[in-house]
Amino acid sequence: MAMDSGIEQHLAAGRHARAFDLVVPAYKDRVFRLAYSILKERAAAEDAAQETFVRIWKALPGFDGRAALGTWIYAITRNTCLMELRRRRPTVSFDDPDSTEAQHAAASIASGPAADPERDNLLRLVDTLPRNQQEAVRLFYLEDRSYETVAEQLGMPLGTVKNLLHRARKRLMELARPDEVKAA
Amino acid sequence: MNDPTLIGPCADYEHDLVDLHDGTLAPDRAGVVRRHLEACPRCWDWQAEFAILESRLTADLPRPELSPTFDAKLQDRLATLARPPVRSNLRAALEHEHDSLLDTLRRGARRRAVLGALGSAAATLCALAAARGLLAQGVGLLPSVAEGPERWLMLGIAGVVMAVAALGWSAGRNGVPTLGLLR
Repeated sequence: MAMDSGIEQHLAAGRHARAFDLVVPAYKDRVFRLAYSILKERAAAEDAAQETFVRIWKALPGFDGRAALGTWIYAITRNTCLMELRRRRPTVSFDDPDSTEAQHAAASIASGPAADPERDNLLRLVDTLPRNQQEAVRLFYLEDRSYETVAEQLGMPLGTVKNLLHRARKRLMELARPDEVKAA
Repeated sequence: MNDPTLIGPCADYEHDLVDLHDGTLAPDRAGVVRRHLEACPRCWDWQAEFAILESRLTADLPRPELSPTFDAKLQDRLATLARPPVRSNLRAALEHEHDSLLDTLRRGARRRAVLGALGSAAATLCALAAARGLLAQGVGLLPSVAEGPERWLMLGIAGVVMAVAALGWSAGRNGVPTLGLLR
């Protein structure tokens, strides 16, 4: 990112406050979207983004430049979100899409009534995917379908992200099919 | 290959169909996949279904935005962190009590040292006076200004008593080393 070179110049000169002033506008939206893709709630994602930037502010003087600035920032964001997830009460996990709970939820969601049935069904079907697939799907469409951006933000190789998204979309197509087609 | 009872694309073309939709497939391979699509109803149906899912995900997944107050909130948090921490009243009271206790102990130690020194000086003076009296009486070296040997003897005894009392008092207040005899 071109902005990063300016930030890194300030960091190299020890002007950490000035660097931080550039970090926030350059990264706040992506940090927020990454947090949202993990936490699935706007308010929680905004809180996590705040916490992330506080951590960055504290840690910036120790940033040694061994990793790219964006990689470092997204790692802090993911850690902040994972701590928030751990802090929350454990709920039924749908990480295994073949689990009884996931299949039951998917079936009831696909057939249940809703105010905006198609949209609600789709969103709920996304929620039945394994967590890493959910994160990749949300982030992919938030980031204008950029595999590279998703890979950078999730800290995964490009091929892994493509694979995750392929499996997620295939699964969503299967879940969204009418029952008679599934039976065939 | 085109068994109508099967669902899903041909395995060899599955990933290519996604890449074709994303526009990331190499041109020569894209031509091959397009020709296959025209001949394969399964792949044709699958890519049509995939395109519908893509458009629905693009349109229906929430796209939340940061609130306009995000920057102001962040600045407030950072300003709070930058300020020195405010001590609570309880902590301030405890620290005040601790400080005053230390001050009292220091003053007590100073007073004890001064009193001990004074006591030691008085005892020394008295001992010297007593010694002088004893010497004057026994050896007869004192000048004639003295009015009589009994007077010097009384003064000496009084001096010794005072010196012993001063030393005892100082030792009782830990004003002089006692070598553990008073413990």
